[in-house]
Amino acid sequence: MFYLSLFFQYASQYLKTRLTYRADTVIEILSDLLFQAVNLIFILVVFRHTAFLGGWNRDEIIFIYGFFLVPYAIFSSFFNIWDFNDRYIIKGEMDRILTRPVHSLFQIILERIELESLFGAVTGLLVMGYSIVNLGLTFTWYDVLLFIVMVFGGAFIYAGIFISIASIGFWSDSRTDIMPMMYNISNYGRYPVNIYNKVIQFVLTWILPFAFVGVYPASYFLNREEWYGYAFFTPVMGILFFGIAILLWNAGVKKYRGAGN
Amino acid sequence: MNVIEVQNLRKEFNSYTSRPGLAGAFRDLFTRNYKVHAAVDNISLTVKQGEMVGYIGENGAGKSTTIKMLTGILTPTSGSIMVNGMNPHKQREEFVRTIGVVFGQRSQLWWDIAVQESFRLLKKVYRVSDEDYNRHMGHVIETLEIGPLLDKPVRKLSLGQRMRCELAAALVHNPPLLFLDEPTIGLDVLVKLKIRKFLQEINEQYKTTILLTTHDLTDIEALCERVVLLDEGKIIYDGKLNQLQEHAVEGKQIEFEFLSEVPRSSLPRVENIQWEQKDATTWLGYINGDEQMVSRLISDVVQRNPIKNVRINEVSTEEIVRKIYEEGMALT
Repeated sequence: MFYLSLFFQYASQYLKTRLTYRADTVIEILSDLLFQAVNLIFILVVFRHTAFLGGWNRDEIIFIYGFFLVPYAIFSSFFNIWDFNDRYIIKGEMDRILTRPVHSLFQIILERIELESLFGAVTGLLVMGYSIVNLGLTFTWYDVLLFIVMVFGGAFIYAGIFISIASIGFWSDSRTDIMPMMYNISNYGRYPVNIYNKVIQFVLTWILPFAFVGVYPASYFLNREEWYGYAFFTPVMGILFFGIAILLWNAGVKKYRGAGN
Repeated sequence: MNVIEVQNLRKEFNSYTSRPGLAGAFRDLFTRNYKVHAAVDNISLTVKQGEMVGYIGENGAGKSTTIKMLTGILTPTSGSIMVNGMNPHKQREEFVRTIGVVFGQRSQLWWDIAVQESFRLLKKVYRVSDEDYNRHMGHVIETLEIGPLLDKPVRKLSLGQRMRCELAAALVHNPPLLFLDEPTIGLDVLVKLKIRKFLQEINEQYKTTILLTTHDLTDIEALCERVVLLDEGKIIYDGKLNQLQEHAVEGKQIEFEFLSEVPRSSLPRVENIQWEQKDATTWLGYINGDEQMVSRLISDVVQRNPIKNVRINEVSTEEIVRKIYEEGMALT
């Protein structure tokens, strides 16, 4: 309860500052939109040359992309920890965090929220809407609930992986450049995993399970029954990876060495 | 009651040395030369409620590392710490609600938002009730004279203004124990005086215990009865400031400025006095003895030589501390 009210306090403060820098915010939203449009155009271009990709047609791939945008938007709004090592460990901001009576990871999440990224979820819903119409899909009431569960599962997988990587910073004070690489790998989850070779499929399923953010859960809504097992595993993977990340983080904080003055 | 109880506290850091050359860098990839370095080396310390303690030492002596262990930021390698009856690192979230921390070189406030918004966020973070906040902070804001700054964003404040706001921010939850790590660094004399006066006030009013590190020893002289001196991670002195002065200074220094050049031979040759020439017409006399000897020396010198100015120099704490570190003076 306390954490929730703290969240709203920070969020309202965030909106207040955002409103004073309006132009900035608009430009950020527009550049996000542009980025998403480029990705969409890429899919469209690919399907001018082929009708199927690993057994999936154009509209299904577009649906997967649209679905992926929703958990990704939640992740990038609330888990901006890609620069954690630079900002908090090397610059020593972690000292300040640790002198306050709130869980350290939660404080960092609060300080780094970027609510305008949630706009990506709207784009995602629109993209999905477009492909739903083309594919003539129908849904029942509990599909909405499942959708929410899957989205949060996916966002937690993302968060878990990135928090785990950020935690490495507690042990090694050398700068790690894994973060940008991880953003690249995460993009593979937007496409059906069966188009990749077996090793990459395995990695995307069990080691860096980005496939659970896009293709696996989306296959449920596309009625691809052969993937249902994976689809329903999405929330489990989310809880598992997020849990591991929190444990890693808590262990890391004990190893925090601080920055010199 | 002891607010801080520290026993045999030790913090080690592993650092590695890199080998020279390309071949060396290649070997470093596989095996590194680790070196264990104790930043804080078995210190023991107790601080009672209401004390103001100056914690001094050179850069790298281990001051900040000690403070970071006392505030729960770092985990000690060994030894025990009890602060406000809690183990800072183990009970971090509960513990930090009972302390206030100011790092002079790092801001606690949010850069982009108005000062009072920062206070409001902190009020929420520390779960301070409206009543307590208004009663307590009204007073703090008034004494630090930051009322007119409250609606300005932090980035528009001068260093002196910001520092006063930082201090206020550390007191939002009215903590019984305050850690100040170089709170007056880079500030002008007026702001320093204001901050010192304020610290004395809260110390009297709330019996707030204050642990202060600073490079400006005049801060310590103005505020602290007790000093703890640290060198290479070890405590080399812990006691009253005036005792440190008595211990460390053998006698006094008298500066004679003559009208014309004076040779060494025309100065009195007495035991217990050492002469040092500052410039052509100025001599410094170091005298090891009491006031009587001082006045005898002055009258002796003045009778023989036409004089322009005589000054008896008090040795400042700064000089004492410099002497201690340079000469490795043993103090017990």
